This record gives sequence, structure tokens and C-alpha cells, in this order.
Amino acid sequence: MWPKTLKNAPGQGNYLEFLARRDKSVGAFLHVTGSIRQNGGAPSDSGADGGNTCLEGVPVAVKDNIAVEGMPLTCGSRILEPLVSPYSATAVERLERAGARVVGKTNLDEFGMGSSTETSALGETNNPWDVSRVAGGSSGGSAAAVAARMVPVALGSDTGGSIRQPAAFCGVYGLKPTYGTVSRHGLVAYASSLEVIGAAAESVDVLEAAYAAMSGSDVMDQSSLDHPVPPPDSGATRIGFLGGELGLSPEVAENYARFVEALGDAGYETEEIALSTLEYVVPAYYTIASAEASANLARFNGVRYGHRTDYSENPEELIRKSRTEGFGSEVKNRIVLGTYVLRSGFQDQYYLRAQKIRTLIRREIERAFAGVDLICSPVFPTQAFPHGSKEMDAFQQKVADRFTGTANLAAIPALTVPSGLAGGLPVGMQFMAPPFGEGRLFAAARTIGEIFPVEFPPGMEPPWAADRE
Amino acid sequence: MDSAELTTTIDMAMLELAPDESDTVQRSVSQMLDYFAVMAAAPVDGVEPTTHAFSTTNRTRPDTRNERSVADELLESAPDLEDRFIAIPNVL
Amino acid sequence: MYQSFVGLEIHVQLKTETKVFCSCAANYGDEPNTNVCPVCLGYPGTLPAVNERALEMAYLVARSLNCDLAPVCHFDRKNYFYPDLPKDYQISQFHRPLGTKGYIDLEFRRNHKRVRIHEIHLEEDAGKMIHAGDMSLLDFNRAGTPLLEIVTEPDLEIGDEAEALLQELRRLVRYLGVCDGNMEEGSLRCDANVSVNLRGAGLGSKVEIKNMNSSRFVRKALTYEIARQQEVLERGGSIPQETRLWNENRDITETMRTKESAHDYRYFPEPDMPPFTADEAFLERVESRLVELPAPRRERFVSYYGLSQSQAEFLCDERATADFFEAAVTAGAAPDQAALWMAGDVQKWLNRAATTLTETALTPARLASLLSMLAHGRIHGKIAKQTLTRIFEEDTDAETIIQREGWEQIRDETVLGEFIDTVLSENTRAVDQLKAGDARPMGFLVGQVMKATAGRAEPQLLQELIRRKLDYNVIHVLSFGGAIAGRRQEDGLVVPGDLVDVHELFAGDPAVPDSLRFSEVQLGQFLSEEITPADWAALITTVNETITSANTGGVVIAHGTDTLSYTASLVYWFFSDAPVPIVLTASAVPGNAGGRSDAVDNLRASILVAAGEERGVHVVYGKDDFYPINLKFERAGYTAVARGAAGRAGRDEVAGDRSDFYAGVFRNWNKDGLRRSAPALAAEARELQRAELTSRLEEALSSVFVIKVYPGLSGDALISLMDAGVRYFILEIYDTGTANLRETPFSLRKAFDEGARRGVSFFCTSQQEGTVDFSEYVTAHELWRRGAIPMGVLTTESAFTRLVAAMLVCEDDRAVVHTMEEAE
Repeated sequence: MWPKTLKNAPGQGNYLEFLARRDKSVGAFLHVTGSIRQNGGAPSDSGADGGNTCLEGVPVAVKDNIAVEGMPLTCGSRILEPLVSPYSATAVERLERAGARVVGKTNLDEFGMGSSTETSALGETNNPWDVSRVAGGSSGGSAAAVAARMVPVALGSDTGGSIRQPAAFCGVYGLKPTYGTVSRHGLVAYASSLEVIGAAAESVDVLEAAYAAMSGSDVMDQSSLDHPVPPPDSGATRIGFLGGELGLSPEVAENYARFVEALGDAGYETEEIALSTLEYVVPAYYTIASAEASANLARFNGVRYGHRTDYSENPEELIRKSRTEGFGSEVKNRIVLGTYVLRSGFQDQYYLRAQKIRTLIRREIERAFAGVDLICSPVFPTQAFPHGSKEMDAFQQKVADRFTGTANLAAIPALTVPSGLAGGLPVGMQFMAPPFGEGRLFAAARTIGEIFPVEFPPGMEPPWAADRE
Repeated sequence: MDSAELTTTIDMAMLELAPDESDTVQRSVSQMLDYFAVMAAAPVDGVEPTTHAFSTTNRTRPDTRNERSVADELLESAPDLEDRFIAIPNVL
Repeated sequence: MYQSFVGLEIHVQLKTETKVFCSCAANYGDEPNTNVCPVCLGYPGTLPAVNERALEMAYLVARSLNCDLAPVCHFDRKNYFYPDLPKDYQISQFHRPLGTKGYIDLEFRRNHKRVRIHEIHLEEDAGKMIHAGDMSLLDFNRAGTPLLEIVTEPDLEIGDEAEALLQELRRLVRYLGVCDGNMEEGSLRCDANVSVNLRGAGLGSKVEIKNMNSSRFVRKALTYEIARQQEVLERGGSIPQETRLWNENRDITETMRTKESAHDYRYFPEPDMPPFTADEAFLERVESRLVELPAPRRERFVSYYGLSQSQAEFLCDERATADFFEAAVTAGAAPDQAALWMAGDVQKWLNRAATTLTETALTPARLASLLSMLAHGRIHGKIAKQTLTRIFEEDTDAETIIQREGWEQIRDETVLGEFIDTVLSENTRAVDQLKAGDARPMGFLVGQVMKATAGRAEPQLLQELIRRKLDYNVIHVLSFGGAIAGRRQEDGLVVPGDLVDVHELFAGDPAVPDSLRFSEVQLGQFLSEEITPADWAALITTVNETITSANTGGVVIAHGTDTLSYTASLVYWFFSDAPVPIVLTASAVPGNAGGRSDAVDNLRASILVAAGEERGVHVVYGKDDFYPINLKFERAGYTAVARGAAGRAGRDEVAGDRSDFYAGVFRNWNKDGLRRSAPALAAEARELQRAELTSRLEEALSSVFVIKVYPGLSGDALISLMDAGVRYFILEIYDTGTANLRETPFSLRKAFDEGARRGVSFFCTSQQEGTVDFSEYVTAHELWRRGAIPMGVLTTESAFTRLVAAMLVCEDDRAVVHTMEEAE
């Protein structure tokens, strides 16, 4: 459906107008292209990529912390507002080579630091289901763009749940691949050892196609990996679901119970599992992420590109003022926190300890996968919360990353699948698989999709229908 | 985290915070550090830290040049140029 | 007494094609910001991708410095903000450097030391920031260039030694082909840590010294800093831990203003690069790139090719030069000749043309064929030099040039013999003169044959053939004062005189073959204690003329006993490579005592050695053929014959078996390891005109002073000598290297302090026989630390003349010092 829409576009102009119109209420995009590149990216060097015909002509949105040559690369930050990217991320190049067309850059929490897209300095993104609510984050713009039928698939990045949580909030699929399977070249680093490029999508098919196009090792990212051959068995029979007191909102709790039951109905053996390391996930995750962020964001200093303060007398003042003016408060918080946990005298107590806990978490996950093929858990304790929510302040949002952080610390793939609506808002549940088990995730998503098909917000027609709006 | 540590850390991070902003940061960072205290209970004795997700086969790059240069384009992004130098103020 | 500790941090820029983490050209000299890309400019979203070649080079250096190699190579981030550092962190190695616990052996001022390498790690270089008016200009071409940091333990003690280490490391990285070692351009950089403390108290506070942009500045800055710290401590002050910068305009180190908090680098493992495992294949690649390093190569050149230390140093300074040398030897060149030519005429031409060996038309094979023509007498020395120049200029081989120019000498004995026969038959008078013992016509006869052959006769062979035909050999006897040429007056006093007529003296002597002819030259009437620089100059120029003349079978220098050990060693430094024997001799009894004098014995023995086959410099006395260096005049000859002799006249009666008389008069100290022939140290100076040589010797002698160290010697006395223009002291100290350096006016302490300030050098010999190497006593080590150079086996007399000779041929003080360090 989608490919045809764009491909047959005399309606290209109409499509871009549609995006602008639709985005007025959603605010998913920070930048929409003036004209869609028909032949973006380098030409395919082999016939192999030609096989991904289902992406031919498909419009994609790209989170604005992923580089697309000639487009802004703001990361939702004032400090990068002036920057136009001189290159494209490998993931973007590969998608374009497979026929996809980048139509714009989506909003995000500044440098990916947040769970609501509200820390963006450059715009507000609303949940297409209820514009008074957040779309989640940090890839809020990408999830909202998919939910609002503006694109079928949008790239995001997932450091601690940044694709899966907004996907759940917006009722779409959201994939966090195995660490390294998608090159990070072109992804503006926040927490290098945890994050990976993934996507939010309206269907498993387009998600899988996008993943297939993007993944594979890359010379520009020496931490990138190929899938092992042969891939892990894509079939799953046993699913462990996270049990115990999970601290969920009543709506999410009820939905989770129904979902687990549905797994049984779908023919899976289910068993309740517990993860003893769960309580360490968020502290370890934030320690490592902040530490890495403090170094990764050091390069934004006003010297070579990006925001430079109007007046300074010496290099140090220039750097200090440019950074102070350019970063928002959440970013500053995390830089200071990350700097602190790396300081000599504190590093062992925080950073090093967190890295060791990471080992414990990985081991426990490995053990868990000895008994089950997939792990199922909630994505987030609540549904999309209102803008400016007092209950869900910055700290509570962090604590709520407890279900998603595990996959990042353990480097395993995880997928958010829609699990129906509660109170008119979508809920999403998460599958986690062993490393390189993306195939298993897609298979399970298709199976459970029979029971919980993706739903779209009322009135959000796709462009071919929206043309008539 | 006391204010002396805070000041040193902010200085190291090359930031410059106004007093009220500094208070916010202190509250927020202290809250996180308190929360991190739970890690002290984790049984990590003798556990090796994980610094990289996977131990992979060696990845290196051949020592050959990339002939395509985007240097000129990159300089266009510089806030201030002096010929081909990137310029920053330095009043002595 | 204080102890100083110096450790170096040496940054070696690796000569890769591309940068260490991106594919930009590693050419930082290009137009500003041309070799930059999103990665090395720290653009958002970019990641490092490590260059395999850089890793290989890094491991290669670590391996060559005997390090333990990290089985897995990890990188860390070193966090600090600076405008020239694009990411505001540097990818480096902190937790697990790729090389640890290595060492490099260093010989400095004859002190052998193993300098330990603490670690070696690979990192990326920063860009360059230039200050211009009220702004700073940034060029990032250098950002990301692979940089190897070599950190030594604080095993060094003084600036000169640090400089030597730096130079040795420079040679090493150049040998390995991983760095061009250019300190001025910054491809090799050096920071240092200096700590001074009371001896035995361990390390003091550490002061870091930066901004030393040449090895000379390293030496100067460290010398300054050590003295500065010591002075502060002596005044009762303390040294703060700090970073100081060398100010090359003021020749001092100055405190660098820094912020206190700046030095927590918050190292953590670089997440963007997986650890690199140095697997077998990789290590094999590293092994395959190992080369013989400068130090072992130098040793091999000395032991295997028989070269001198200084020749080995010259040839091994650059790998290409050493390779060239060995290739030339493989191609058939004699090692000593190849070395001589490469250090001599070849190097001179390279200097003039301001080029390097490998860039010229001279190949090892061409040099070898040139030298073989010379060795086989197909051409003579002068022609060989001309041919060499032609090879450089015309890019062709010696054979072609010589054929074309008709430069080949006639050395066919039959052909030459015909020419000689003709000349001899046409010059019967000259022949008669020769046969009568007058050597003078030889030159004339040689000249005639030369004329007849248009200058193409091989002179050496020509002379030999004439001598053979006429059956004679000319020994030049130079009378150079002393009792041997003196005579006893009626009142019993010995006065200078002319040497007796040797020809007459040995006419009919059965031991002296009839074929010998003598040419006598009077160089002055004096006793040997009266020798002046002018006398030495006369001797040197005369010997030079004699050995290069067409008519010399050997040279005898009749000398006095008292200063024989000086003149003999001086002659050695000038003529050790003489093509004929040069024999110095002396006598205790005046020559005019005739057959009763030991002069006759000694002259006879000397003449026989001079007529012999063994080239180079000899000292003959009694039955002994001594080495010309390290000769000690240990016992006055008279004492032996005084026994039972009545009256002065009786002294000159040396009848019968005289072995008692000669025994123990002269002796070679530290005889093992002495050689009679080696390349002559002062070969260049022997070509000087006599007047010029005289004035240079006078100049040299007025800046040298020999002091026998004794208890209570005042440092001030030496300082007065410095005021009087003395720049070099030979200190004859105790045992194998001790002297008083305590804080008292009656020690050498003040002299050394003042000497260091004035650039005065001290060379130490011993009052006893033995090798001065400063290895035994703490006082000896302190002498070394303060710059004294142990002269090893050399005696005071030989060290003194070596110094004088060195001053004649060296461009500056440093070269003189270096020449002294290379003594046997």
C-alpha cells in the first residue's frame, strides 16, 4: 500500500503537504524535506539489496540524532541547531539503497535523554491518540509519526527503551535490535555501549524489511556485527513472563495479564520467571549511560560546528559559555552526574560497580534463556502520561525504565508489540530474545498480532485517504 | 554530593551554572546518587566488569586513504574561519 | 650529596599512510584543515576505526624495546577539554598499555645502563593551535595522527644522558621505519619528569618539563632543572610538584600556570572499539618486521668488521647507511676501506650536495668496484676521489669512467720494468748516488718514470720495483731532540745536539742489511723536556711529507725518553693508519757515546722495525716493540747502570748484556685491548701547513690542563685556570675513578659546579694502572653525573694527546667530548 503511494506520486508534493498538515497537531517532525530524494544514498553495489523491493519508495522518518546528509542533525538541542549533517548514517544509506526515501527528521528528547520527548529544545511532540499526552521518548517523534500514519516506519535509537516505550505509548511496533547488529555510524552517541539504531513501524513486515536492510557489520563501526550464520532458530515455544510485584498502573497490569493469557491461547508454553537483578537495572543503566554521555557530549564545545556563544575572550570561556547556553537542563544534569561517577575516587563505587552489575545482569539473562525462548514483560508501568505530569517527573520516568533497561545492559534484542487499548489509549508489551534472536521476535509478533492487531488513532487516515481531508 | 564537589564537577564538565540552576542540578544529581546506593548491595565480588557488549573477532581498518574529501564542506560548518583555519577568540 | 632522577615521556608519531582512527591522510604539513573528515573533526555520530598498520607499528616498537606485549589491546578515553582536541577526549591506553616492562640499553660517557621502559601505549594526536593576535587558529590536520607514547622509568640522571637516550630511541624508530624522528617538526616529542633528592632518600617531588623541541633543548632544560632543584634544596627550600615549560629564549624553565582541578582525566574503557587481540598471525607480522637495531648492529660492526667505535657509530646512525655499507662489503669492498670512504669522501660529497646516500647515483656495488680498483692498484687514491665525484655526477660506474678517462695505472711489472730500466740506464749518476746511500735521487727517478708513463705508473709499485732493482730501502730518520741526539760535555752535562750519522754508525753492522739507505732530517736541537707546540707541528708535518713521498720504506723518530709517551701517542693519533712503519725510539745515554751508548742498540732495533712489514706507529726500546699509546716511562734508565759505576763518565758505559738496563724503563699500561693501527683520529690535521698547525696546537694546548688530583686540591685553583682560558681538564684521579666531591673548598666540587656553568669538560684518568669506568664507588658515579668522562684504559699522557688531536679536527666542544668518549 505504502510503496505505491509514494512511488506513484505525482502526489509527492501532496504527500509533503500532507505531512506538514498532519504534523501541525502531532509535532512529530523537526524537519521535513523540501523534496524527496529519489536516488538517495550510494547506488547498490550488488544485486542483493535489490531484493528488498518492499521498501522501494517507502517514506521513512529518521530520528534527529541519526545523520542524513544535507539535513539538520539537531538531537533536539540548541547546541546542534545550526548543524547540517555532511554525511549519512550507515543505517540510512542502507535503507536508501533498499529504496526507502527519507522524508524528514523527527523530534526527540535532547540527545535522547528522556522518556517523553519533552526535553527537546526545539519542539513539542504530542501523542496522536491524545494530543494532551506525551508520545513517550526519547524516540517520541518517530513513534508518533508512525502512529499518525505519516510514515510506515521511522528510525529511532534505543539506549534504555527509547524506541520501545514511545512505540508502546503510540500503539506501534518498536524494535531494539541486538547491540551492534545495526551500525551506530551516524548515530549521535549518548551511551555508546548500550545504544543501537532500531525502528518504530506500523507492521512487522515493514519493520523486518527495514531491519534486514539496515543490519550487518560496517567498516565505519568496529563494534558492529553480522548475524551469526545460521541464525538462531526463529521459532519459539516457551515464553517466560516476568512475574511478581511489578508496580504497574491498573490499566497496564490488567492488559499484561490478558496478554500473558493470550500467549497461552496462541499455543505458547508460558511460565512465570523472576529476575533478581531487576532492582539494579536502572541504577546500573543510568550510571553507565551518564558516564558515557559525559564524554560523548564533551565534543560539543562551540569550536568546530554548532552553537557558539556570541562573545568570549578566550577558548575556555568560549567552550564553557557555548555549552552552558547550548544544553538543556536534563542534559546538564546527566553530564554532571556522569562526570561525577567517573571521577577518580568515585569511579570504583559507581561506574566500575555498575559495569560489574552489568555482568551479573547478562549472566542472569543467559540463564533465563536456557529455560525459555523468549521473555515477555511490560514495556512501561503506565500508558502515555499527560504533558507536564507531576507524578511522572524526570526522576520517576527514569525509575520506570526498569523493564526496558535490561535488554540494553544485556545487549539482547527486544520488541514492543501493541497489546490493545485501555481507556482509549494504547498499551504495548515487550518480547526479549537471546542475542541475534530478531527472527524469533518477528515470528512471535506476527503470531500475537493475530490477537492484538495494530490499531490507529481515530481520524488519523493514511495519506492516500488523507488526501481527501 | 556537597557543593564543593558539585562545583569541581561542574567545572570539569566545562559548564557554568547560575546559582539556581546549580541548585537544581545538585538536587537532581543527589537524588540519582542516593538511588544508585542500592548498587552497593549487589554481589559483585570477583565479577569482571562488562565494557563491551560482545567480544568479537578483531576489527581493524586497512591503512589506505579515503580519496573523497569533505574537508571544505566541514569547514562551512565552522562558526568562524580565518582562511582555512578555524578561529576562536583569544584576547590575552 | 644529591641524586637526580629523570624519566622521559616520548611521543613518537607513527608514519602510517592514514590517521589512526580514520582514513584521512596522515600529512599534517599540508594546507590547514585539508586532511580532515567527520571522524577526526569529532563530528556527531562518528566512530573510531582503528588502523591495523598503526597497531602493527606500535607492537613492533614495544617488541623492539623488550616489552611484555599485551595479549589484548584495549583503548581508554582520556577526558580533558582543549580546543585542539576535537572530541574533548583523547583515545589512549591507560588501564592496559600495549607494552610494559621493557628496557633499552644505553651507553653514555662509558657508563652502561639499562633504562627501563615503564610502558608504551598508542593514542591519537591532537590538532594544532596557533596564536595570532586576539585569536587562536586551529588546524586539525594533525588531529588523529597515530602517536606512540613511550614512558621510561626515572632511571636517567642528567640532561646529557637523556639526550643520548632520546637520540638512541630516535635511531631505533627510524630503523624500524615507523617514524622519521624529526623533533623540530614534532614527529618526535619529549617531555620529562625531574626529581632531585638527597642521595639514598628516593624520589623527591616530581616536576614535569614540557616544550623541549629538540634533543639539545632536552639536555639544556634538564641540566638547568636539575641544578635549579638542587640549589633550592641546598638553600633549605622545597620543590613543589608542578609543570614547567622550557623557555628557549631565556634558557630557563618556568612555572606553567595551570588550574588545579584539571588533572582528573576520568579514564574509562573506550566503548566504541572492541578490544584487539594480538593473535598469532598478527604477532607473526610484527616479528617479520623486526630489524637488527642500532646498538647490536654497532657492536657487530666493531666485532665482525673490525671497525672502530666511531666508525660503527657513524655507519649505524642511519639504517640506510649501515645497509649500504654491508651491501658494499658483500659486493667485495674491504670493510675498513668502505667505512673510511663512506665517513670521508662520500660523506663530504653528500654534505656539499645537501643530500642523502640513497638519493645519489652511488650504489654499494659502484663503491665496492671503485674500492677494489684502488685496492688492486688499478687507480691511486687521488684518481679514486675524482672517480667518486664523477660517479655522483654522471650516474655511471667507476670502470666506465676510468676506461674513458684513461686513468688506469700501469701496474704490469713487465711494462713498468721496461720504463724503469730505461730511466735507470739514462740516469746512472742518480743510481750511483742511491747506491752510495744518498736517498735523495729516488724522487727524481720516480718522477722520470712517471713522466715517461704520462703519470700512469702505480707509484707504490714503482718505488718498490726501483728498490727491488737496486736492492735498497730508504729509512727516514728524524732527529727530534733528546739524549739520543745529544752529547755529554766535558763537564758531564748532557746538551742537545745533532743525531750521529746513522749511515756511518751502521756501516758494516752485520745486523743492518746493506740494502737499507738512510735519509736523515734534523728537526731541532733540544732535549725532550723542551718540546714546544712548534716542534710537534714540525714533526707532524715532516712525518706526513715523508710517508707520502715516493721514497719511504719506514720512518724512525729519535726522541728523548722523558716525553716519549706524549709524542708517541700524539704521533699515533695522527698516523695510526700510516702505510709504512713509524718507529719512535730514545736512549738514556747520549748518542755521542758511540758504541757504548744504548742509543746504538735502540736505533738499530728501530731501523729494523722500520724496514719491516708492520705498518703503523711503534715505540722501540731495548728489545721491546711497544704500543705507541699508554706508554709509561716508569723508571729512569740511569738507575740501573748506576750500580757500582763511579763517576759520570761511567754512566755512559753500557757494555755487555744490557737487558738489565732496559728492563722496566717503559711499559704499556692496560696492554690488553690496545691496537697498533686504526683509522687516524687527526688525519685531516696532518695536511695542515706547519705554521697553521703550530698555531692550532698552541691554541689547543692553552685550553687544556692536566691535573693530578691530590688530597686538599682546591676547587678554586681549577676555577682560576678556567679564568685563564682552560676549557678541558684531564684529571688524574685515584684508583678507577674516585675523587673528593664533598662540600668543602678543598674538593673538586666547586670546580665541577663552575665547570658545568662554563661548559668546561673533565676527562678522568687514573694515577694507577687500571680502567677508569666510574662503576665502583658512589663518588665515582657522582663524577659521572656531574659530567666527568672516564677515559677507560687510556693513560693520562695518551688521553692528553688524544684531546689535543681531537681539538684540531673537531668543529665544536661537543664533538671533542664525543671523540674522547670513543677512545679505545
